[in-house]
Amino acid sequence: MEFVDYYKILAVDEDADSKAIKTAYRKLARKYHPDVSEHQEAEEKFKQVTEAYEVLKDPEKRAQYDEYRKYGSRISGREDGRYRSREFEGDFSGFSDFFSSIFGGAGPRGSSQRESYGFTSQQAFNQRGQDIETDMPIFLEDTLADATKTISYQLPHREADGNIREINRTLNVKIPAGVANGERIRLKGQGGQGIGSAENGDLYLRIRLVPHPLFDVEAHNLIITVPLAPWEAALGASIEVPTLTGKIKLTIPANSQTGQRLRIKGKGLVRKQGHGDLYAVLKVVMPSDTSREVKAQWQQLASSAAFDPRNEWSK
Amino acid sequence: MESQYFNFQELCTITALPSQTIIEIVDHGIIEPEGNDPETWLFNTRMVSVTRKALRLHNDLDIDWSGIALAISLLEELEEIRQENKQLKAQLNRFIVG
Repeated sequence: MEFVDYYKILAVDEDADSKAIKTAYRKLARKYHPDVSEHQEAEEKFKQVTEAYEVLKDPEKRAQYDEYRKYGSRISGREDGRYRSREFEGDFSGFSDFFSSIFGGAGPRGSSQRESYGFTSQQAFNQRGQDIETDMPIFLEDTLADATKTISYQLPHREADGNIREINRTLNVKIPAGVANGERIRLKGQGGQGIGSAENGDLYLRIRLVPHPLFDVEAHNLIITVPLAPWEAALGASIEVPTLTGKIKLTIPANSQTGQRLRIKGKGLVRKQGHGDLYAVLKVVMPSDTSREVKAQWQQLASSAAFDPRNEWSK
Repeated sequence: MESQYFNFQELCTITALPSQTIIEIVDHGIIEPEGNDPETWLFNTRMVSVTRKALRLHNDLDIDWSGIALAISLLEELEEIRQENKQLKAQLNRFIVG
């Protein structure tokens, strides 16, 4: 088991007073709180910081820890190698093995424990099962009509001996047409098992729209970037454009510009009522290699068009 | 499909919070249920997750409810802006690449 340096985690000196420790903790807790931070290891960091503070804020625990830190080898010779003080038997689930080895208490039982708050021992015999939240990736095509999807998720399961083990569960779920990114769908009773006569927790599916190779999503509208040859933009054209439900014909007006948006009504995502629109954003692209003849024609165009695209600059 | 709405009592049950705390969270505008009084309040699934987030911030960071209200609205704004930024970057990429 690895030694955990709580002082290093909170970035405080060994002789820091309780005020300095509190300030350091608050600063880091705000920085790494999983609800606030985008940091990749936010949750892990937050746990470490909380654990460090749990020890260093308490003079008695801190003294024990300091002793261990100094004379670690001597302590491991005692009885079972751990202090078993009554005051320290709290709910320290999620803390490291290192913490449990010094202060006792349960080992990590998963971060979800942070979801449960203040049950009295009497309530604990009838405790509602834990709610589970899981991501549900959905392709844009699958949001157009009601779709049945299979999901697998992990569920904490209480064994006959009282131990909690993660089990895999698979469900068929109906995803209603028109779901939006970030929307949560509740499946009642499909979460963690209730204790005693209490009901099961619920399962929440957090909808994540999978990025599409062609379409970007803007609320209920879709955007597709349409490459055009310079002459198509200049002369206008009739082209085929893909939509989520097959190709359609689109008329490009003459003298179109890069960045111009053409609205294709009703070809966006499904809303609770009606459809969003598809926007074709035009992008004029140059051919990558040109023959001598084509180049000659460009030169001819350059001299006859008398076009100054930087006209604005000379004003 | 299951009901995607919760009444006041159900929200207390699933968040394991006393009614007074929920009332306080609503009073601070952290969540805004449909309906005018606790008897008719209806909460959606998003409000459940906001309530849980508010509670975690309240417990873990020792922030009072008005601070939570500010933090949550700023976090939501940040999330929207990040989303928009991601979207604009994706669109920009389609323009400058290939």
